[in-house]
Amino acid sequence: MVKIKINNIYFEAPEGLTILDVAKSAGFNIPTLCHKDGLPHYSSCMVCIVKDNSTNGFIPSCSALVQEGMDIDISGEEVTSLRRKAIELLLAEHRAECEAPCKIVCPAGYNIPLMNRLLAAQDFEAAIKLSMSELNSAGIMCTKCPGYCENACRRKKVDMPVSIRNLQLFISQRIIPDNLFQDMAEQHHNNDIVIENGPKKGKLPKRFTSHIGRLEETELQEWLKECKGKVLRSREILNKNSAVGEAESCMHCDCRAADDCRLRDLAEEFSIKDPRGKLVNSPITKKINHNTGLIFENTKCIKCGLCVRLCEELKEEPALCFMHRGFVSIISEPLTEEFDNILKNRSKEVIAICPTGALSQMK
Amino acid sequence: MTEGCNCQQTDVDEITAVVEEVVEMTGRGPEKVILILQEVQKKLNYLPSEALKHICKITEITPEQISGVSTFYSQFRHIPAGKHTIKICAGTACHVKGAPLISDAFKRVLKIDDTRNTSADNLFSIEEVACLGCCTLAPVVQIDGKTYGHVKPTQTEEIISDFLNSGHKSDSLHGDDNSKDIDAEIRIGLGSCCAAGGSKEILSEIVDIKEKYDLNIRLKPVGCVGVCNQTPLLEIVTRENINSRYTNVSKHQVEEILLKHIRPRTINKRIKHNIYDLVDTFISDDKLTSQINIPGELREKYLNNFLNYQVHLATKNSGVLSPDSYEEYCLSGGFEALNHCFNRLDQNAIVDIITESGLRGRGGAGFPTGKKWRISMVTSSDLKYVVCNGDEGDPGAFMDRMLLESFPYRVVEGMIIAGYATGSKEGIFYIRAEYPLAVTRVRNALKQCYEKGILGESVSGSGFSFNIKIFEGAGAFVCGEETALIYSLEGKRGTPHLRPPYPAVKGFRGQPTLVNNVETLSLVPWIITNGAETFRSIGTEKSKGTKVFALAGKISKGGLIEVPMGITIREIVEKIGDGVAEGRKFKAVQIGGPSGGCIPASEADTPIDYEELTRMGAMMGSGGMVILDDTDCMVDMAKYFLTFTHKQSCGKCTFCRIGTTQMLNIITSLSEGKAALSDIDELENLCKSVKDGSLCGLGKTSPNPVLTGLRYFRDEYEAHTRGFCPAKKCRNLIRYVVTDDCNGCTKCSQECPVNAIPFNPYEKHEIDNQLCTKCDNCRIVCPENAIEIINING
Repeated sequence: MVKIKINNIYFEAPEGLTILDVAKSAGFNIPTLCHKDGLPHYSSCMVCIVKDNSTNGFIPSCSALVQEGMDIDISGEEVTSLRRKAIELLLAEHRAECEAPCKIVCPAGYNIPLMNRLLAAQDFEAAIKLSMSELNSAGIMCTKCPGYCENACRRKKVDMPVSIRNLQLFISQRIIPDNLFQDMAEQHHNNDIVIENGPKKGKLPKRFTSHIGRLEETELQEWLKECKGKVLRSREILNKNSAVGEAESCMHCDCRAADDCRLRDLAEEFSIKDPRGKLVNSPITKKINHNTGLIFENTKCIKCGLCVRLCEELKEEPALCFMHRGFVSIISEPLTEEFDNILKNRSKEVIAICPTGALSQMK
Repeated sequence: MTEGCNCQQTDVDEITAVVEEVVEMTGRGPEKVILILQEVQKKLNYLPSEALKHICKITEITPEQISGVSTFYSQFRHIPAGKHTIKICAGTACHVKGAPLISDAFKRVLKIDDTRNTSADNLFSIEEVACLGCCTLAPVVQIDGKTYGHVKPTQTEEIISDFLNSGHKSDSLHGDDNSKDIDAEIRIGLGSCCAAGGSKEILSEIVDIKEKYDLNIRLKPVGCVGVCNQTPLLEIVTRENINSRYTNVSKHQVEEILLKHIRPRTINKRIKHNIYDLVDTFISDDKLTSQINIPGELREKYLNNFLNYQVHLATKNSGVLSPDSYEEYCLSGGFEALNHCFNRLDQNAIVDIITESGLRGRGGAGFPTGKKWRISMVTSSDLKYVVCNGDEGDPGAFMDRMLLESFPYRVVEGMIIAGYATGSKEGIFYIRAEYPLAVTRVRNALKQCYEKGILGESVSGSGFSFNIKIFEGAGAFVCGEETALIYSLEGKRGTPHLRPPYPAVKGFRGQPTLVNNVETLSLVPWIITNGAETFRSIGTEKSKGTKVFALAGKISKGGLIEVPMGITIREIVEKIGDGVAEGRKFKAVQIGGPSGGCIPASEADTPIDYEELTRMGAMMGSGGMVILDDTDCMVDMAKYFLTFTHKQSCGKCTFCRIGTTQMLNIITSLSEGKAALSDIDELENLCKSVKDGSLCGLGKTSPNPVLTGLRYFRDEYEAHTRGFCPAKKCRNLIRYVVTDDCNGCTKCSQECPVNAIPFNPYEKHEIDNQLCTKCDNCRIVCPENAIEIINING
């Protein structure tokens, strides 16, 4: 047993435990990103950093073993500011968007990419429900709105923006029974405060949002990988066919892990603003496994290596591995394999362990 | 390298055959991956994907492991390289002497762009290497095995044609004639620096002259003498035991030097010699100016100064011992310490001596060696290891290379003692692949030791068995960190991890592993023989003994020096180094490479001591000492080191991976005059975070060059925010102009690679700044020194 002090309280702990283990069982909360109980520790993110006052050094609590005489500070000013810096640094290379540009600028904060996905999947019922729950006076608003969403639509840079307003109008006017729509319109007529004063994030809850920074022409093409090859484009949405076609041209700019991202949570917890100039690591690329629907987006990866460690544990080959060194190091399929052939059976587990949206499942 | 390797497609069958042959030799375990990749690349010139696949197929190596490892180490390439590789040294000493201009010049002449580092005809590839370890000959370029020193950007074409015409044969010359009755012994340095200085040509010239006059002499190649900037170095010891040293010897002087000391044997030849001598006197006045006629005392004054301020422990008998000779090492007292250990001392007593001596790790951090040994000794395990850390990757440092090349037996002895003291059975030399000569010498030493019973079962009949093998590193600076080094030995990516557990408790293959630096181990025999007290008597309160430094940069007499701890920087610069070169102003000294910092001239009375150097913001580091003069820009130096650490970071932890990138970005914009004062504050804060938050020593110390820069030269940083580079070094802030001294000789115009200087004979030339690439060629060739560098902004 070793005797250590955590935040000025004495603890006895068996040798071989990490500071994180001991702190956790004592009820302290230390944030982590690259750590997962049961997997070998790696200490890459440095978010769990603590200070040992006995040596005046900073150590990652997830792998630092308790040692006699340690005097650990887990929540002091110095520690928190280093943690904040670690998250800021991670965000500086995080060339990714938590939310799609269209959703961000929508005065009503409507989940446009989800609407498109539902339409593309021909799930009209769900699309109607979404429209009603998020945008109950929507019909009128979209007719009045100058279309900030379409202006922000990334597809615009490729050919032309997705006809978002018409898609929404199609849902509300053509599919929803007229009377229902009328009721709703009257009911919310006076609440219609958003449009006149320009794009205010009216109904979107204020969450941290990461941005992409400068986007190169070549990088733009990466989103098209997620779209179907040839789709029927039409500005006017006259029937279900044209709606589906138009919705399929959506590039799904939103992050699949928007509501399940440890990095985003931590950014909010530490009230961090997204850094302005993003560091360009390697150009944005998206790798899609056409057999399992696994998608890897390199710029969302924080190189924590959780997936690699899990793959080693799962013993499924071929799997994911680290490649290169330093700032350009990245998670990848092995040099000798195609991305299509990796993780044939266990990709769900690997996706689940990713703390960000770097590894996710295409719908 | 096989012939015809420059063809892009290699037959799949051939690849398979090569892989199988290699694997047959190396074995199939996962820890063999680096060795297998090295051998395959040696044979195929690169690593085709078919080869990787086949390796995975026939060994225990997984595709994930082979991908991770082969992309981590910079030695491996996945696309074919040119037939010949031009290695441009990017070490500190070369950097301050203009290596970036050399690199640009080669790329320009060979029309190589950055996307593919190979010329269109696949003849040459360019590679920038961290350090070739010939710092005193900076800037240095190596084409295949041939080294060129003191290279100028204007010489690139000359060098390429020289290389192509020389037939690039590899010289293999050895000493001969072991008969006792000789007139003189000729000692010639064959360390890497000397070889780069042309000592091999000198050696072959001596052989010719010996034939010609039938001289009764013995040729003896010796290791590094330490006077590396004066190479090649020749020493003649006559029968009467008179010792004469010659520096900077050129080929045509050899005959003269030899005949001055040694008389030809036969009468005929003697007459011939005299006639030749007479003719020479008449037809050339060369002799009057050659250094042979300079009075001996004057010539040797510098040499003596250089050598007298030093204390040789690790480098004992430098320039005397033949590095390959087991007998000579024994005659000079070699292996006495080892036998003393076997006969008189038990494990505890040895560790006590090392502890009492106050010896601290010479790799940089200065951890007490005795303490490390004790941890390893008391950890119980059937299998323990001793690793000699020879992964010296620090640009501007070459001590370990020299020690391994010149005193391989001493390091081996130190290692066996360490093994005996800690109860280990196996030793491993981890040596950078960039040091082929060191590998050869150590390999030979090990072979000899096995033959003489110094290694293997029951060493010297003591009952203690010890085996040593060599592991060649694959090009990753971070592997100098002991935990990363162990991962590398195990065939993994060389990423460090947090200690404890210390390698001395749980290291290679999970067993207690003692990792000691080359210099540390080579001090061990001396300490055992001479006693802890004697060692303690040298040095300061907390830093005992001596330290080997590679003295380079803008110094008159650079080289490899071993000095007592406590000597001041000023003594080193002024006494040993004979002051700053070309009479310029001593500005600062960079100690400790990318982990260290620049100590200004005003603080030159700082003694060499672990704590003192750390207090100054620098670090002992592995022992690179680069002298800077007033033409060196501190922002540029910081940028240089950050570029290095950024490139060498393993990429594991956030602070080092992203922090160094951001630091580099800010410092780059500073050097381009695009940063504001607030950026300097941001840089400083970032440095502090990276220092605190990084996982290993590489990251923790990477901000040191910037922090010392800000501490001692803040005004220079601030000047850059105004677009002004006081040292006139930062390319974006300077321009070249022609002064009125121009006599219109047109040399600059002819030499300009981009035609930025119109051809105007007998008129003052003008430089078109729109076209000028600041390659420095014009300034080098101008006979009137009429080209000046000025600041764009004021």
